[in-house]
Amino acid sequence: MSFHMRRGATTQRLFIIKYSAYSVAAFSDQSPAGFRQRTHRPKAFLLDFRGQRMSQVFEGYERQYCELSANLSKKITSASLLDGEQKKQKVSEITGGFEDAEALIRKMDLEARSLPPNVKATLLAKLREYKTDLNNLKTEVKRITSANANLAARDELLESGMADTMMASADQRTRLMMSTDRLNQSSDRIRESRKTMLETEELGVSILQDLHQQRQSLLHAHKTLHGVDDNISRSKKVLTNMSRRMSRNKWIIGSIITVLVIAILLILYFKLTH
Amino acid sequence: MGDHIARGEDFEKKAEKKLSGWGLFGSKYEDAADLFDKAANSFKLAKSWDQAGAVYVKLANCHLKLDSKHEAANAYADAAHCYKKSNIKESISCLEQSVNLFLDIGRLNMSARYYKEIAELYEQEQNLEQAIVYYERAADLFQSEEVTTSANQCKQKVAQFAAQLEQYQKAIEIYEEIARQSLNNNLLKYGVKGHLLNAGICQLCKGDVVAITNALERYQELDPTFSGTREYKLLRDLAAAVDEEDIAKFTDAVKEFDSMTQLDAWKTTLLLRVKEALKAKELEEDDLT
Repeated sequence: MSFHMRRGATTQRLFIIKYSAYSVAAFSDQSPAGFRQRTHRPKAFLLDFRGQRMSQVFEGYERQYCELSANLSKKITSASLLDGEQKKQKVSEITGGFEDAEALIRKMDLEARSLPPNVKATLLAKLREYKTDLNNLKTEVKRITSANANLAARDELLESGMADTMMASADQRTRLMMSTDRLNQSSDRIRESRKTMLETEELGVSILQDLHQQRQSLLHAHKTLHGVDDNISRSKKVLTNMSRRMSRNKWIIGSIITVLVIAILLILYFKLTH
Repeated sequence: MGDHIARGEDFEKKAEKKLSGWGLFGSKYEDAADLFDKAANSFKLAKSWDQAGAVYVKLANCHLKLDSKHEAANAYADAAHCYKKSNIKESISCLEQSVNLFLDIGRLNMSARYYKEIAELYEQEQNLEQAIVYYERAADLFQSEEVTTSANQCKQKVAQFAAQLEQYQKAIEIYEEIARQSLNNNLLKYGVKGHLLNAGICQLCKGDVVAITNALERYQELDPTFSGTREYKLLRDLAAAVDEEDIAKFTDAVKEFDSMTQLDAWKTTLLLRVKEALKAKELEEDDLT
């Protein structure tokens, strides 16, 4: 924003220096009507220069707005660090500043609209920028105040409570009663927690017993499986033995049958040839 | 459901026919066994437990004729499970037969488990003496199979019932034994103080004051941490109350313990007995004086 301002300022100065001869009167005289009367230069220059002067007003407003917004942001940061009464003061200051800033923006808006279109566009853009800036500041303040609101509400609540206890503490007896009440409550709570702890301990003990039992059954199963393994390997041997014996018997029978058949054939042959 | 009953009866009739007729190669028993099995299944689906149980018994007979004792024992066990829902006596007898068969085969584990089941059934019927008998047998079998946890569980039940039946010495011995065994085991050592408390309560029920103090010292030696526990405190206070025959002190100690952890029914019964004994003694003394 300041950059724009600076640029506008330098161009403004250049124009002034360049056309000092024509601009002296214009510079001194702020009314646009008088200016129009004075110089009958080409329209473009005229418009340009008038735009210059208008934007000068605008620049003035702009500078004010920038100062104000810098001020406000500084106040916001300082307010977020404080709390309580001072914070409320700062917040009210800041809201006052917001109102001023809004008035400035409205004036700038009017100025910008009365200017010729080419400058108008840039100025309107700048104006939009300022407006968003102002909205950001407003949300920041709202955030602080909302956080503040919680704390403020708590403070109010506790303050009233303390006020009560302040009133009660004037009476010693009630104060003692309150403290003994609180002590009883805490001892009750401790007893309850002890009870729960003991119940949990019993539960844990029974779980451990179950685990022990399961461990034993697992070990037993493990052992049994080893036994099964051994038995299976033994039965495998037995079965291979059986199959071997079976094939051996088959061969023996087969060979005996062939021998017998050959013997019968031989006998028949000899019988027939004799 | 009626469908299942009809199917079951159908299977049963077929099986009976097979048995009474003469099959080839003696395979009739196996076929009959198969059919009986299917029949029993359908009866179970139909939830007619009595019929299912009866069929299972017949199935077991078939298996016995086939000389497969294992199958027979399993069939008897199934029969017992069916009867459990309707007729407990039948169930117990079936389980006994099954147990005998398992013992014959040498499957001690299964027989121990079924003994335990029988004992539980007796417990349900509140027949504590029989329950004790069977729990003892189960514990012995478990012990011989080296399954110490199940053995300990059964023994605990034995001790519980023994105490309820006023056989205090037995209960005390069992509880102390269990406590001694549990000390060595990392998982079980947290339950030791529970066992010692039970043993202590049984000692109180016996009513012998000297024995109680001796016992407390012994427990102290067994488990050094026992003296820090609330159980020990309770036992000490109760012993003192019994010694001084002060009922108010007794009730106070019990109430304090109860406020932390609820006393279960068994403990309450026993402690009540002690209190009654105390009251009786007080009245006696009043009578004398």
